[in-house]
Amino acid sequence: MKKILLLLLVILILAACSKEPSIDDTMLDSGLYFDQSIYEPEKYLVSAFNPSPTPEEALKPVIITIHGYGATTFEWDEFRSWAGNRDDFQISQVLLGGHGRDYQSFKSSTWKDWQKPIMEEYQKLEQQGYKNISLAGSSTGSTLIMEMLASGYFDQRLKPKHVFLIDPIIVPSNRLLSIAHVVGPFVGYTTVTNTGGEEKFYYNFRPQETLNELRKVINKVRRDLEDGIKLPAETTVRVFKADKDNVADPVSAVLIYKGIKTDNGAAIRVDMVPSRIHVFTRLNLRSEAPSAKDIENQRTAFTEIAAELLR
Amino acid sequence: MKIRLSILAILCTALLAGNKAEGQVHSFDAGLRFQKSAGLYFENGLTGQYHLSNRWVLGASYISSRLGSAIGSNAIRQDNLILSGSYLFRPGKSLKPFVRANAGYFMADYEDELFGDLPQSSAIASADAGLVYSFKSPLKINLSLGYNAITGSGDQGAGTLYPIFYQTSVTWNFAKTLRESASAYQKE
Repeated sequence: MKKILLLLLVILILAACSKEPSIDDTMLDSGLYFDQSIYEPEKYLVSAFNPSPTPEEALKPVIITIHGYGATTFEWDEFRSWAGNRDDFQISQVLLGGHGRDYQSFKSSTWKDWQKPIMEEYQKLEQQGYKNISLAGSSTGSTLIMEMLASGYFDQRLKPKHVFLIDPIIVPSNRLLSIAHVVGPFVGYTTVTNTGGEEKFYYNFRPQETLNELRKVINKVRRDLEDGIKLPAETTVRVFKADKDNVADPVSAVLIYKGIKTDNGAAIRVDMVPSRIHVFTRLNLRSEAPSAKDIENQRTAFTEIAAELLR
Repeated sequence: MKIRLSILAILCTALLAGNKAEGQVHSFDAGLRFQKSAGLYFENGLTGQYHLSNRWVLGASYISSRLGSAIGSNAIRQDNLILSGSYLFRPGKSLKPFVRANAGYFMADYEDELFGDLPQSSAIASADAGLVYSFKSPLKINLSLGYNAITGSGDQGAGTLYPIFYQTSVTWNFAKTLRESASAYQKE
């Protein structure tokens, strides 16, 4: 009996041992393709590009865009390209902590680390005198923004003008994420199927430690939504959610709609988008060429975000 | 009146007490069920179990987030109707392991027509296994861990039907109550 117990213990220890993926030099995970915003922040962050705005510039809208779990600033490049030479608003593309670097940096990061650069950019812009700041998140980027709204981050600060949530994740379509803390130590990491182009902008391996962090922040925000999140009087929230999404279940939109109310108790606006693409606003480097409908969905969302920023 | 009660007591004794070794055959438990999906809601409600034999049990349960996470919160209101068949091990003992197969129907209420096109209902097919403890009184407690085979995938299926759940039920065995009442009455 003792031998059997010892054998079981050895199997458990071996199964629980850290597993490392085999990383190619072609992958972001390798550390050979750091996100460009790390080297040239002035091309991505308004706080770095224009730290001393004129009074007129300070009143123009600035939108901080935040990518999702495992992604990089690349996720919002198409919004910048779409905006082109417009100068009626500015875009600040934030790279989440632990992202856009290498596998080990990702593995050792927590959801609070991911969130930190959003707060840093928001605070810098506020200190530099910007008066009209909005936020746009895709996928987990949206979840991190909702956490900031729920936790009172903006209580003693300039209130954000608009918040846009693109395919926010509250209910993961892969339900195994709900037990990532149980099965994770036995699995070590999961692998993502990226295209040849995507693999330099998206992590190809997801360490179980970060999956557990994702589970934690999703659970926290879900509970915050259950308790109710009341927006500051100055802030609007708008949700764009693909109605078929194998990453963030569409029911996430229901939870957000029920959970966030305006200052006077009114419902927020939710648009259910007829799409099967998770983060339907990013079409470049997908495995399939985008359809006319996909392009229309993206343009409509960008146009409406820009219009609302200027309203 | 006393004669009628005596007849009833004798009938109950004959029907329910029967062979002591058979334990609680053809008896009925009813009580409360408390369930939690890993990563989602508490869903509580009622459960009833009918003992076909000392090993086989049929059951029916109604659990809902209305009686759990959705009380005073923005959690989605959802209901589960479940029929089950259980097999008990060690039937003569107080502590009995069991396995159970469940089938049923799940309904969620998204409360706004904006979400009318999203799947709001689903069949339930699940299995759970655990332990049931029978006290000397008619009280029973069971604990189990289960797996839902049907869950949503984002493309299809109800979004808030999660795979892993754990539950506990606290039930009262009515046969035992009646038997004890009948015995007590006979002694009088």
